[in-house]
Amino acid sequence: MLEIIDLAKRYGHVVALDGATFTAQPGRIVGFLGPNGAGKTTTMRCIFGLARPDRGEVRWKGGRVDRDARLRFGYMPEQRGLYPRMRVGEQLAYFAQQHGMSGQAAGAATGRWLERLGLADRRKSKLEELSHGNQQRIQLATALVHDPELLVLDEPFSGLDPLGTATMTEVIHERAAAGVGVVFSSHQLDLVEDVCEDVVIIARGRIVAAGPIDELKAASGRRHLEVEVAGSDGAWIEGRPDVEVLERNGGRTKLLVDDRVPLDELLAAARGAGELRRFSYQPPRLSELFMEAVAEPDAATVAEEVAS
Amino acid sequence: MSRWRSILLVAKREVLERGRSRGFIFSMLFTTAIIIGSFTLPAVLFGNDGPTRVGIADPAPAGLDLAIVTTGQLLDLEVEIVPFDQRATGEAAVANRDIAAFVDVPADLSASGDIVFRESADPRLQGVINSAVAALRTNEVLTEANVDPAALQAAQTPPTVQALDPPEEGADIQFLIANLGAVLILIGVFSFGFTVLTGVVEEKQSRVVEVVLSTVLPRDLLMGKVFGIGVLGLIQLAFFVVAGLIAASLTSDFELPATTPGAAVQLVIWFILGYTLYSTALGVLGALASRMEEASNVSTPVTLIAMAAYFVSIFAVIDDPDGPVAVIASFVPLSAPMIVPQRAALGAITPIEIGLAIAVTIVGIYALFVVGGRVYSGAALQTAGRMKLRDAWRSAGE
Repeated sequence: MLEIIDLAKRYGHVVALDGATFTAQPGRIVGFLGPNGAGKTTTMRCIFGLARPDRGEVRWKGGRVDRDARLRFGYMPEQRGLYPRMRVGEQLAYFAQQHGMSGQAAGAATGRWLERLGLADRRKSKLEELSHGNQQRIQLATALVHDPELLVLDEPFSGLDPLGTATMTEVIHERAAAGVGVVFSSHQLDLVEDVCEDVVIIARGRIVAAGPIDELKAASGRRHLEVEVAGSDGAWIEGRPDVEVLERNGGRTKLLVDDRVPLDELLAAARGAGELRRFSYQPPRLSELFMEAVAEPDAATVAEEVAS
Repeated sequence: MSRWRSILLVAKREVLERGRSRGFIFSMLFTTAIIIGSFTLPAVLFGNDGPTRVGIADPAPAGLDLAIVTTGQLLDLEVEIVPFDQRATGEAAVANRDIAAFVDVPADLSASGDIVFRESADPRLQGVINSAVAALRTNEVLTEANVDPAALQAAQTPPTVQALDPPEEGADIQFLIANLGAVLILIGVFSFGFTVLTGVVEEKQSRVVEVVLSTVLPRDLLMGKVFGIGVLGLIQLAFFVVAGLIAASLTSDFELPATTPGAAVQLVIWFILGYTLYSTALGVLGALASRMEEASNVSTPVTLIAMAAYFVSIFAVIDDPDGPVAVIASFVPLSAPMIVPQRAALGAITPIEIGLAIAVTIVGIYALFVVGGRVYSGAALQTAGRMKLRDAWRSAGE
């Protein structure tokens, strides 16, 4: 298990991390979300010792993360980069050996991963001779070639075409199924919703929401209700204080309701208005939870915090 | 995994990647060609210094051949005598440059005889032959006049020669080796030290450094890089020296003084120390730059120091190898690599001083690794613009 405990880091006057705490379990996929500048990359750099936190620590399997622990981690930084003129096969083998593999094991692992990513025939090519998409695949292979127990990927989906996205998703799932803990950051929230079980949302250097996506959704009091009634102008919904009308288009209405709203009552009202075609009750999308979580605290909340 | 394995892997990567690159191989072949050329071209262009061949008509006066050869020796001209029994064949040999001159003097010295040249007389050779013939004639006349041969020989003995301040054996070569050492170390700094500098900047520019540093400690990456490129530098240096020695031994009778092995060992030690010191400094400064265009900017201070040390070594130290400037500069790590081998080649430094200078330089290198390693750690991931030394130091703070 990876534990991020109370990390704080400041660059000059800029606060990058302000007491961030969360965990990543083996075999689970954590989507690490947050607006630009929220502290995602700094957190990842702290995990790899690339940034030194002013406060707090990173623990792995209960102990402090040291160099030996990091040999079991795989990292794909946001700023992609490998040696442009080095041959693909030698490059992967080099990184595998730097993670403690023997030369022979590194060669074998390189072959396996190139095969797996469909690049077995490019083993002797220089990296710069590969297409952008294939260079991204090699970058992923660099993070995976030593068979890590923890995978940290910073924006792994950025710049990928649909095929690349599919490969990335498949590999992430496969690794997690093999017991690897995966932490990845992304701005593509719909994708995150498809790929991850857990999310951690960071804003202004602090964790503002964390947990399994389903639980976060359930915990949110907001629900979406979409109702379509043939031959109705939608007047049946008017006058209810517990319902917010988001959109009304003839017989179709999109509503935002509280999770304690009496559904039976609404269903009966809709039936009464005409022929019911659709009645769908949904938890909010991840993107809504995200917006809600990262919203700037309003002045009232800040005042409250200061007072407390 | 041990840090040593990590450092060695970095070094191995540098050796393999750079050693196989076209640029490295071309520059090595090109420089080797220049070295071999500089030894062999003069011999090819200006002819070899073989003996001058002189033909004489056979029968010749008794002792003429010996007289020409010994007179030639006195005038520093090596002569080989070729007898011809007919004047026509002798002249033909002159015409086709087989011999430099043909001498036709009657065996009984009854006539003054001829010297045949191809185009015009070579005055030196002409002088040698003239003196030889004249000496034979004088002897002949004096012998006929019953002069005592012993008195004659005594009369012909030249004064003995003495030099008040004879040059030491191999002094020129010593001087050459001293100079060569300073030049090689300067080349080591500028060629391989800058390879370290550009290597560091390239890693930053291609962003690969973040992947590397996620497992390799910054100090180890710097050390491995300096080590690997240094191995290449030594391979290249050894290659050049061997090529130079082989070319020299094939083309001339150039002899190395007995002090050469000692001087070569000093050269290698100081090449390694000087390279390590300067390339570490350049690697650290390289980390402050984020693009290649900034690299020459950040390296300027080191370049200036290296040049200054070199000029001190070729002006102050060669003039006065025991003077205060030379002594002080021997114990400053940044200048010692260029000063000490020079003084050693000139025999102006004691082994104890050499040992002390080596120790001081190693301490300097260690201090640089500690300070530079921290600056490097702080700067290696900073990819926006040029970083200040102080900021890099702080950002890696404990």
